[in-house]
Amino acid sequence: MKQFGTIFKFELVSLMKNKIFVGITVFLAVVIAAVMFFPRITDTFDVETPDFDRMNHENAYNGVDDGRPVMAIAAGTREIAEEVSVAFQSAFPSYIVSIVNNDPGQIAEMITTGDVECAFVFDSLIAYKYYVNDLSMYDTVTSEADAVLQNLYYTDAMVQSGITAAQAQEILDMEIESETVSLGEDQMQNFFYTYIMIFALYMVILLYGQMVATNVATEKSSRAMELLITSAKPVSMMFGKVIASALSGLVQLVAVFGSALLFYNLNKEYWAGNMIVDSIFNIPPSLLAFMLMFFILGFILYAFLYGAIGSTVSKLEEINTAVMPVTFLFIIGFFVVVFSLSSGNADNLAMRICSYIPFTSPMAMFSRIAMTSVAPYEIVISIAILSASVVGVGIVSAKIYRVGVLLYGNSPKPAALLKLIRQK
Amino acid sequence: MKLELRDIYKSFGEKQVLKGISFTAEGGKAFGLLGRNGAGKTTSIRILMHVFPADSGEVLLDGLPVDYSNVGFGYLPEERGLYPKKKIIDQLAYFAQLKGMKRADAVRAIDGWLERLGMSEYREKKLETLSKGNQQKIQLITALAHDPQIIILDEPFSGLDPVNAMLLKNVVFEEIAKGKIVLFSSHQMNYIEEFCDNIAILNDGKIAVQGALRAIKRSYPRDRLIVRSKDCDRILADASYACASYGEGALMLHLSAPSEKQSVMRALAERYDIDEIKVFEPSLNDIFVEYTGDNGGDAR
Repeated sequence: MKQFGTIFKFELVSLMKNKIFVGITVFLAVVIAAVMFFPRITDTFDVETPDFDRMNHENAYNGVDDGRPVMAIAAGTREIAEEVSVAFQSAFPSYIVSIVNNDPGQIAEMITTGDVECAFVFDSLIAYKYYVNDLSMYDTVTSEADAVLQNLYYTDAMVQSGITAAQAQEILDMEIESETVSLGEDQMQNFFYTYIMIFALYMVILLYGQMVATNVATEKSSRAMELLITSAKPVSMMFGKVIASALSGLVQLVAVFGSALLFYNLNKEYWAGNMIVDSIFNIPPSLLAFMLMFFILGFILYAFLYGAIGSTVSKLEEINTAVMPVTFLFIIGFFVVVFSLSSGNADNLAMRICSYIPFTSPMAMFSRIAMTSVAPYEIVISIAILSASVVGVGIVSAKIYRVGVLLYGNSPKPAALLKLIRQK
Repeated sequence: MKLELRDIYKSFGEKQVLKGISFTAEGGKAFGLLGRNGAGKTTSIRILMHVFPADSGEVLLDGLPVDYSNVGFGYLPEERGLYPKKKIIDQLAYFAQLKGMKRADAVRAIDGWLERLGMSEYREKKLETLSKGNQQKIQLITALAHDPQIIILDEPFSGLDPVNAMLLKNVVFEEIAKGKIVLFSSHQMNYIEEFCDNIAILNDGKIAVQGALRAIKRSYPRDRLIVRSKDCDRILADASYACASYGEGALMLHLSAPSEKQSVMRALAERYDIDEIKVFEPSLNDIFVEYTGDNGGDAR
């Protein structure tokens, strides 16, 4: 136990003093500060130059090029072109809508040269072709255009059947009032911070796992191991290293998220109304506690595996290939969780299974707790399995470590390694 | 104080590395553990230090199984290496603490050793900035700082210049004088001859020969003479006994019986211009080669 304390302290101090560790932490904190201060900075900028917006609007109506992209309209008849262009100009204020000749070749050229960003060519009021250079994944222009055109069509139809234009507009503008009462979890609300936490878990486990493996392999290849192994028990060494790196990973997370929270609170008024950011910083404390628990257990579990693997390689270069199976295991779990989250069904069969497998449960169970309603006994079972696995994997890892650190030459195959462990 | 390995067997997988090793090392004397590469020296040392257990056999201190939580071991491994990027005082203190010292005591002891070895100026430096010989001196401190009862030095002199070798020799003699058990493993036979009263030569997992070095040497029949003379050619031509050149200006004479020794020496001195005649005693090197050479040992 005393040895564990000595090793733990030594490892922790060397991690905390590590320039890269300090550098990354400071860098992340600075990036977060920049993000959090961003709206305040842009706000200040807007206040100082209040005339810019108005000038832009005026320019737009004068048809002067003010940097906004141009949306070209062409149609078989002049009436259609004009009717559409008026409706589109009010529907797409971020574009300059201008009428061009109905010549497909010329339109294509204007788009490829970049003079025009996109173009609509109308056969009639209800049929058009949309021209654009690169179609963005998030291009919503056509769906908005469809809504505008439908609106035009309905209004025309209603006016023709004897309703006044104003009445028609009123009918079309009708909005339905609704309110959703969620009795379980609000996925919209929880989605973002669940995502952020899953990513944080992913990054930290991969980064620190590799670090533990490298750390062990370095001691082995520098032959400091020869002395260590005769000075301390492998179990103390393994637990000391792993728990020290878990703690420094935690410190890093707390530093980064803590500075995020601090800078958010400093700039709270500027973020008002931003649902995503608000939701991120309104994590319920119980969820934070679960996050912490799953983080620590998951981290330690993987760190043991990485440490054991690090002990079996003789050269640092071999580490990357050696850790691949564990990394894959982890990445597969990560993808199951991320895909399930984005599919909107965080409670599917794969997630249910993954939330009991110790290697995936930290992410899977946490996501389910955050995004769906999970029965308390399920959480208890999941955590129990995970905790038992941590202890089990820890002991096996220490055994692998004890055998592994004294083996030089080719890395042993898993079967050979198991045989050696059983032999003691 | 007496450290005893009794009938130690150890296998790794199919390969039997130790096949019944027994030897005894006493306090206040240095013990030389010799053997070719792969003979089982390091495995014996690791079993001795309880890095892994033996398949069978015992490690006893004064007749009782060693209590590893109480007995201090100091170890200088053959494969040297500490943390290259860490400050010397930090890592030395770390290792001493792992051996059970309090930090303050550890630092005090280490400062004493740094001073003793003339390394005080490097106290705050990173290990990698030191020369190989100096790194070795630092490593020596890890074996001695916690004042262990049993000191195991594996090739302690390799890589040291003559001045540092002398310094280390003095340190080792001091430790022996304190009544500690010092176990040497080396291929540099001259150092073993200088330090060790008792030796054991390992060959292929077994003890080939062991005991007091002087007794081993005297156990060889004293039937060979070394003669240095200007008249080597004449002696060689006249000789009625087996005679062969023994380096420049010297001969080795094989007598038919040790009892002829006196008369042959007298006869030689009378008839030829003799510089030196002595009874041949095998060097440790000769003994080593004899016991580990022909039957191959283990050429891993």
